[in-house]
Amino acid sequence: MTEPPEPAAAEQSDSGARTGTSGGKDGRRHGPGPGSGTGPSGTGVSAFARAARRLPRSVSGRATLAGAVVSGLLVLAIVFGSRLLHDFDSALLPYAVATVFLAFGVAYRYTVWVSAPGALRLFKNGWRSLFSKENFRKAPTALPKMTATYLGFQKFLGARSHARWAAHQLIFWGCILAALITFPLTWGWFTFTSGSGSGPGYEMRIWGLKIIGFDSLNFLGWLMFHGLDIAAVLVIPGASYFLWRRMKDRGAITGQRFAYDMVPLLALIVISVTGLLLTFSSIFLHGGGYEFLAILHMVSVVFTLIYIPFGKFFHIVQRPAAVGMQLFKYTGRQDDQVFPCRRCGEAIDTGPYVENLRGTMRDLELGFDEWTEYCPRCKRVLRGNAYLTQVKKGFK
Amino acid sequence: MMGRTMFIDPGRCIGCQACVSACRECDSHRGKSMIHLDYTDEGSSVASLPTVCMHCEDPVAPCAEVCPADAILVTADGVVQQADTTRCIGCANCVNACPFGVPKIDLQAKLQLKCNLCYDRTAYGLAPMCATVCPTGALYYGTVEELQAERPGVQVADTFVFGESEVRTGVAMVVPAERVRWPVPGGLPVVEINGKDVRR
Amino acid sequence: MTADPSAADGRTAVPLDPSLAPPGTRGFRDAGGIPADKWHADQNGETLVPTHCCFCGVQCGMYLRVDRGGKVFGVEPRNHDINRMRLCPKGINAYQQVNHPDRLTAPLMRRSRDEELREVSWDEALDYTVSEIKRIQRDHGRDAFGVLGGASLFSEKTYLVGKFARVALKTRHVDYNGRLCMVSAAGANKLAFNIDRAGNPFSDILLTDCLLLAGANVGECFPVLTQYVWGARDRGATLIVIDPRETAVARTADIHVALKSGTDSAFFNAVLHVIIEEGLTDEAYLAAHTTGWEEVKANVAQYPPSRAAEICGIPADQVVQVARAFARAPKAMAFHARGIEHHTQGVENCLTVINLCAATGHIGKPGAGYGTLTGQGNGQGGREHGQKADLLPGGRSILNEEHRRQICEIWGIEESELPAAGTSMMEMVWQMQRQEIRGLIGICNNPFVSLPNYAVVKEGYDTTEFHAQFDFFLSETAANAHVVFPVTIWAEDEGVMANAEARVVKHNKAQEPPSGVRTDTWVMCEIARRLGAGDKFAFASSRDVFDELRRASAGTIIDYSGITYERLEETGGIAWPCPSTDHPGTPRLFEDGTTYHADGKIHMQVVEWHPPADPYDDEHPMTLTTGRTVAHFLSGNQTRRLGALVEQTPRPWAEVHPSHGFRNGEPVRVVTRRGREVFPALVTEAIRPDTVFIPYHWPVPTAANALTIDALDPRSKIPEYKVCACRIEHAGAIDEVPAPPVAPGHVAYPETQVSRTDPLPPSAPQGRGTSERS
Repeated sequence: MTEPPEPAAAEQSDSGARTGTSGGKDGRRHGPGPGSGTGPSGTGVSAFARAARRLPRSVSGRATLAGAVVSGLLVLAIVFGSRLLHDFDSALLPYAVATVFLAFGVAYRYTVWVSAPGALRLFKNGWRSLFSKENFRKAPTALPKMTATYLGFQKFLGARSHARWAAHQLIFWGCILAALITFPLTWGWFTFTSGSGSGPGYEMRIWGLKIIGFDSLNFLGWLMFHGLDIAAVLVIPGASYFLWRRMKDRGAITGQRFAYDMVPLLALIVISVTGLLLTFSSIFLHGGGYEFLAILHMVSVVFTLIYIPFGKFFHIVQRPAAVGMQLFKYTGRQDDQVFPCRRCGEAIDTGPYVENLRGTMRDLELGFDEWTEYCPRCKRVLRGNAYLTQVKKGFK
Repeated sequence: MMGRTMFIDPGRCIGCQACVSACRECDSHRGKSMIHLDYTDEGSSVASLPTVCMHCEDPVAPCAEVCPADAILVTADGVVQQADTTRCIGCANCVNACPFGVPKIDLQAKLQLKCNLCYDRTAYGLAPMCATVCPTGALYYGTVEELQAERPGVQVADTFVFGESEVRTGVAMVVPAERVRWPVPGGLPVVEINGKDVRR
Repeated sequence: MTADPSAADGRTAVPLDPSLAPPGTRGFRDAGGIPADKWHADQNGETLVPTHCCFCGVQCGMYLRVDRGGKVFGVEPRNHDINRMRLCPKGINAYQQVNHPDRLTAPLMRRSRDEELREVSWDEALDYTVSEIKRIQRDHGRDAFGVLGGASLFSEKTYLVGKFARVALKTRHVDYNGRLCMVSAAGANKLAFNIDRAGNPFSDILLTDCLLLAGANVGECFPVLTQYVWGARDRGATLIVIDPRETAVARTADIHVALKSGTDSAFFNAVLHVIIEEGLTDEAYLAAHTTGWEEVKANVAQYPPSRAAEICGIPADQVVQVARAFARAPKAMAFHARGIEHHTQGVENCLTVINLCAATGHIGKPGAGYGTLTGQGNGQGGREHGQKADLLPGGRSILNEEHRRQICEIWGIEESELPAAGTSMMEMVWQMQRQEIRGLIGICNNPFVSLPNYAVVKEGYDTTEFHAQFDFFLSETAANAHVVFPVTIWAEDEGVMANAEARVVKHNKAQEPPSGVRTDTWVMCEIARRLGAGDKFAFASSRDVFDELRRASAGTIIDYSGITYERLEETGGIAWPCPSTDHPGTPRLFEDGTTYHADGKIHMQVVEWHPPADPYDDEHPMTLTTGRTVAHFLSGNQTRRLGALVEQTPRPWAEVHPSHGFRNGEPVRVVTRRGREVFPALVTEAIRPDTVFIPYHWPVPTAANALTIDALDPRSKIPEYKVCACRIEHAGAIDEVPAPPVAPGHVAYPETQVSRTDPLPPSAPQGRGTSERS
């Protein structure tokens, strides 16, 4: 991201371009027009995507290496965790393979992400705050509290809309539950064994060690066997709400893209519905259609896992950065390092934060990093004044 | 020539804040006004300046570049969108890096919000709410040719100078014809504040 | 969520969340307080109802957005040729009144002012009102009961107010709040042209070469009109602004004459003096189309620029500049508003402007003419059809035998039953003080904020034995009444208004009124029925009233007979006179140089300047002038409840020049012979050093009108709001803005009132910048 691409750069040297009298393309600003139905879908190029296309070789190399290492580690963990594949269920192989791809993708993408100047500086500062002994001494509860409110209960979503918060919580806890059950299962870390071969007494083992024994007919047993159904029941209403909102709320519709905004919701719904249907099939249809459903379910899960690093789901990986950022600012504030606007004296942010941002801007060769010392209002007022005195005072 | 975009003429602005109220009526961010209206000559005159997102083209969207979460999208038509709600972590990098002082941040919601040129309207060829209602034409949406047909003799400038660096934007300022060869001052370097020389 | 660094004093005080952000970027106070959840716009099922704004005399077109449940929930710009999609902040927020929680939804009543108002049934409120009317009129005569109307009512309702007073109550005492607005212009128009309306449509402004705005803060009071002013300048027109303050249009004007308030006629006489001296008059036009020119000429000879400079406190050069710019322009227009009308010589001030236009021949041509900018939505229509003390429908005079006979025939009453002329609004208040008027029905007005000299107004109203008020929000005046009738807001009924161009426009009904709310038409007809005049008030709807109004105006100067609802819907507005349904209306008057006087001439009038009513002395050396701010409308009963507008301008201020040594925001006490109040100082160089300005939209103890003088123009009876003598002094604490009154058991919608207690003045007269104090 260090060198902004765009055709715009090429036009810059033409002095006429400043005034908008030459260069540029006619009608460049026209949107896709009313014919496209759901609005300007699919026309977006995210800043990230642009950056990814012209990654410096070193970054892509580093990212590939990170991906290889992480996926290698996962393979080892699977092999050893399943007691050298003794506990590995070969029927779940496609899932396990997908998780290896997932691990590669996430690690690759994460490395690319934190290599960009903005993220890198915050990444370092965040971890620095996290590992600061002094911080821990001063506010030992800050990190757990922030983690719980941001990552667990996602309080900030409530400020956006209560309904969205509720729906997101449903999806979130549903997915957490599903992941906690399925990942260890597909990796062969969990096993359920029965002395009698077919229950009702079962033992749950992790890495071969017995954790708990239960009766599949009692409540705990029911929960154990229907954990994924519960997860599906949580996810379906949440995802359906978001889907409904995306078809109705004009705020959400604006700029929405099918691949980015709709596909993840559809994927969640397909996984959950097919998962539930599997249960339905085995209980009520004596396995009728089970094969087909199982394949459909597997395909949708594998697709979703591989999609995670590339689309909207990447926010799951990114979101913890909010805690790092908050911790970094929190540290600054604890030390009373508040940076006041040079003109009006109102607090802009913490001193370390402003320094961090200036550094980012210098990395990016944005030559106006001095401007960060002024609050946005003063920037506008100064610009307005400059216009009044240097361009024109009034109508003419 | 530039295509359809916004042209700002602070000389025509009467500071009525119709744009501020209208922005709130835009369906893509209903209830939240993104536009800024500042009285820039407080104590001396009633001069005012409306500020919408300038949709920087070169360097392309500093806000997006400094974003640590890759949350700011620049669409193919040059519109710098507001932060993606799933990605934005509310760090305020964009708020303080923007040379025009545009983005806002909802601290509780951990979400940046800014003018997206009423994307729900402009994507279909309609003018943004602010430029639709502006009683004075201080905010004008259209092509340069349309602007000049209505206001004979005006020129526009889309380059701002901040100290040593220049920023070229998708939104342009109206300037007198003889000013057209110079970039518009962006306010940097700041020479004095409240009568005090602040040059270092 | 204040991010005051000094507050972070103990380590424990640092909140985990939220973090810091610079001022003006965090939070969305300007959402008008309405929670974001309630603002979502749904993709489906909305309809757009074309209508016009309820506020000022420009009458911008707008669409109201109505949801599937039939409720108004938003606004969409409308490409009507008055405003071409432009709207001002008041217009954009107007729709929020419709389903506002502060709306009155049941009649309120009390038998004595010692009691609290309580909700009662319609029957109880109507019965009590009728019994009180009967009692007062029986004991003290018919004229002991008065009616005060308003100019924000549809024309149908203003017609009905006049008929209701004269036919149902049979009282002479009826007047309306347009008396506080532009009656001076009306008086001058009648004297000079015998027709009471502006001569040219707005679109003529685009054709002019020189535009003179006298006492008209176009940028704030008629913001949407600014596009015409700028449009004229884009085409090369010269802009002249006469205003003691450097308003938004004055700031960039070619000539800004910052004269002393109350000296307009001296200035315009001097301008005419220079025009004559330099031989710039249009003698041919004067000879063909005017009377009284010689007398006017002789009179203005006594007003050389040097004299005007002394009286007005301006450089003499400016007089010459204005004279040359206006007279030399091939086409010139003059518009004025309250700035020159709100004076004890308001009519005369307007006449001096008319003299100027007549002497230069700038009348009745495309791009040349004269007009007043009406302040209220129906400021023009409201004065046409008989709610003025001395006028009958169609602009007929109540003193003219022929006119009386015509109206009695239309109304089906004996001429002896038709009362004589009444008195003006302020005079009625004085009569209430003297107990000559003992009962009052007020419809669509709020004199507790809008009339001058509050102490007198309060005493007058308190002295009445019975007072009923119609309104949709509980105004300060209504809160003092015995009975309050909850009536519809503009979007809940249909009707017409006439804007400042005398263009009649149609307002459409966008939603059903809430249960418990009735139209003003229904309430007036119901009271009339209970008083035994039901046969004269058999109106089911505005349409029925409009049909009678058309008949009643047929053949008069103000002829509506060719205007129908259907035609209005087809055309987007028709300017009267419009004598037949195939007549296109009359957007521009005097095109052939003929006025509506019998001789067809412009009757030029001699005007001698005299000082304002309130004398200056050592105790009161400065001038207090009042006016509007862009975010609020008239008495503020509507706009002080809309969150966005409260956020923009939460409170009044005293605008003073830096030479008085006040710091911005410091408490400044403004003292006049009638009262004293403390405001935060807005210190700006954009005002004359000898002048203090206070906007008037707020009630006591922050009411400009607690300080203003109740001196009236002898002809138009307009109060002298724009000038009184005052002094300013340092004070301890500012007076706080009270919450708008609401029905018993309610609180004023709290989300909209968040900023009301802001102790600081706005950063500019137009309001607070979007980043301030947030």
